Amino acid sequence: MTETIELALKTLEAQLNQPLETALEACARCGLCAESCHYYRAEPKVKHIPAFRAERLRSVYRYEHDFLSRLFPVWTGAKKLDEPTLASLTEIAFSQCTLCRRCTVNCPLGVDTPLMMRAIRAVTTASGTAPEILVMLADAAIEKGKDPSFFKDMFLEQIAEMEEQLRDITGDPTATIPVEKQGAKILYVPLAGAHTILPPAAVFNVAKEDWTLSIFEAANYGVFLADVNRAKQVAKRIVDEANRLGVKEIVIAECGHAYASYRWDVPNWFAGQFDFKVRSLIEVLADYIRDGKIKVDPTAIPEGVTYHDSCNLARNGGLIEEPRYVLKNVVRDFREMTPNRDQAICCGGGGGLVALAEYAERRIAAGKPKAEQIKQTGARIVVAACENCRLQIGDLNERYKLNVQITAITDLVVRAMRLPKPLPGHEAERLFEGEEAAVVRE
Amino acid sequence: MSDAKLSLDFKGLLCPMPVVKLAQAIKQIQVGEILEAIATDPGVMADIPAWTRSTGHELVSLDKREDKTFKFVVKRLK
Amino acid sequence: MVFFQLLALAGFLAGLYGIYIRYAQTKARAFPADKSPLKGNPSHGIAYAFTKGMMPWAKESTRLHMIAYLRGIGFHIGIFTAIGALIISPFWTLLPSLLSLTLGWALTLGAILGAAGGLMRIVEHNLRGLSIPDDHFAVWLVTVWMAVSAAAVWDEAWMAAYYILSAITMAYVPLGKIRHCLYFFFSRVFFGKFFGRRAVYPHPDVAK
Ligand code: SF4
Ligand code: SF4
Repeated sequence: MTETIELALKTLEAQLNQPLETALEACARCGLCAESCHYYRAEPKVKHIPAFRAERLRSVYRYEHDFLSRLFPVWTGAKKLDEPTLASLTEIAFSQCTLCRRCTVNCPLGVDTPLMMRAIRAVTTASGTAPEILVMLADAAIEKGKDPSFFKDMFLEQIAEMEEQLRDITGDPTATIPVEKQGAKILYVPLAGAHTILPPAAVFNVAKEDWTLSIFEAANYGVFLADVNRAKQVAKRIVDEANRLGVKEIVIAECGHAYASYRWDVPNWFAGQFDFKVRSLIEVLADYIRDGKIKVDPTAIPEGVTYHDSCNLARNGGLIEEPRYVLKNVVRDFREMTPNRDQAICCGGGGGLVALAEYAERRIAAGKPKAEQIKQTGARIVVAACENCRLQIGDLNERYKLNVQITAITDLVVRAMRLPKPLPGHEAERLFEGEEAAVVRE
Repeated sequence: MSDAKLSLDFKGLLCPMPVVKLAQAIKQIQVGEILEAIATDPGVMADIPAWTRSTGHELVSLDKREDKTFKFVVKRLK
Repeated sequence: MVFFQLLALAGFLAGLYGIYIRYAQTKARAFPADKSPLKGNPSHGIAYAFTKGMMPWAKESTRLHMIAYLRGIGFHIGIFTAIGALIISPFWTLLPSLLSLTLGWALTLGAILGAAGGLMRIVEHNLRGLSIPDDHFAVWLVTVWMAVSAAAVWDEAWMAAYYILSAITMAYVPLGKIRHCLYFFFSRVFFGKFFGRRAVYPHPDVAK
């Protein structure tokens, strides 16, 4: 046995807890989960049935753990793990499953297929066969945490520029983007780039919120690698920052995996050092509207708008009605996709797949069911509260000629707040009106 | 304009795409050679230095230019 | 007959013990406690997982494959009936004739549904691609056992064969795929906890 295989098996063994063993044992191979997977919907082949994917790992597990399989491997399809099998497992877990859990909710037994795909991811990460770029992105984030000084000045400089823009947009010369504000109530964690800083900053300022901006980003590539050690190191930056500043609450940008991990995993990873409430920016927006802290014009957005449920927010995160509440307050013509909410179809961009250029073609092909859903609504604006979803739907927009604008919830809220100046990218009153569409989309 | 082996355009790409593309591109040049790229997402100001630090390549320069784009030059070391 | 009855009893106990071993083994594994602040209620989630969540209309998959799902449910009801019948088999002669008639037909129906499942596994492209030899064996083993159970209810001549087959079937339960009957419970509990905590299931009723 090579060292890689040994390490792989050891990692699998270490992960074998009650939920994983259950997922490995419970499947009856009834095939009911086939259509729940967007890969199968896009290309109805046996290899795209969630249970078929899971069987690849089960065969390895059985070889190690099942009495009958050890005597008669053929009987149960058991297989000793070798290098080619490991390579194919890696490919399956990183390019044929977005960890969306749609199969789980459609399985009569509730088999947690993505849990097994995560187990594979962890195995490949530990044995050094995981996609290099995810490892790099996670390590780069950890590097930022070790010594923020190498980017902090540049960061602050950019924030100062953004503040100018913010004052322009809000018409408020005192509007600020506070950074490292000691004792602020909210620590807002954005993603890299102005598009997740400026719109929320406008909302926070109008709502007179006591907030501060994190110098780090919410994304966590350790989560995609299913590498708890790396994921913890990435998250620790923000946990430490929140503790240092003494904030009450951490608010996460519109990002699926970041919300799911900070809301549901991080409190477990840092039990004892984690006394914060975690909310998504969407929940904050909903509360502001409900409490009248911001005024929004319900007629501000005349275009047909549809909402894509990010799997990490809805099915895996429990944020289902909040985004709808916000949208219905700012949009005149809201149209649901079918199916939606807990049964929403994955766009194909989850699980870190957007960052894996080598599998881009596969990812875009698997997004076809989502593209068709979008088309059916006839909406001109697609709202997604997750960066990976937005990137994926952007690709789908191009490939399947959807001719839609893709935006975050916050951007529409800001538009409906009728501030003196529009956000960049939202300059036109109506984004789609004859020629205007082309101008805006440029 | 410079002795870069490769000149890349990352304009319009949002995080983490500049890093993803850069990681791909670096494999196309030899150790010791350099590549340059232009991006519009300010996120690169932190992400590119973090990437070179964690991967052990050299960030030769990273500048914000007049037209609000960011230019960076990276040397492949491994 | 007592010999065959004891054989069946031995098979039954072996199966039960095997399942217990499996249960104990899995229970001995770590269970990651979840301390994240609740949004919904894990207990409600578990209750949902075993009741409303099992209804044929609750999921897209079962709406899409309604016939296959109902066949599966019927087959499994047949199996549990057959296990009940096995336990009371020494007293079959005491059953009122209407009841033993019903029992016989219920088991026959179960066997028919089982055979349909076995055939689907062979004929249907997806199911065939998904199946391992154990799957085919398990469904036919149980189907034949149910058919022989029905025959034995009606005709004592089948009793010896019935008990032998019962012993084999019961002893096989923990060895092969049939042990998913145990993991069904684990799986639905974990499912309920996960989605209950997040208030995904049960979800407040809204027009979809
Ligand atoms: S995962 Fe569930 S639905 Fe899919 S084949 Fe297995 S038991 Fe059936
Ligand atoms: S989690 Fe989603 S992508 Fe993965 S197998 Fe299940 S349905 Fe398919």
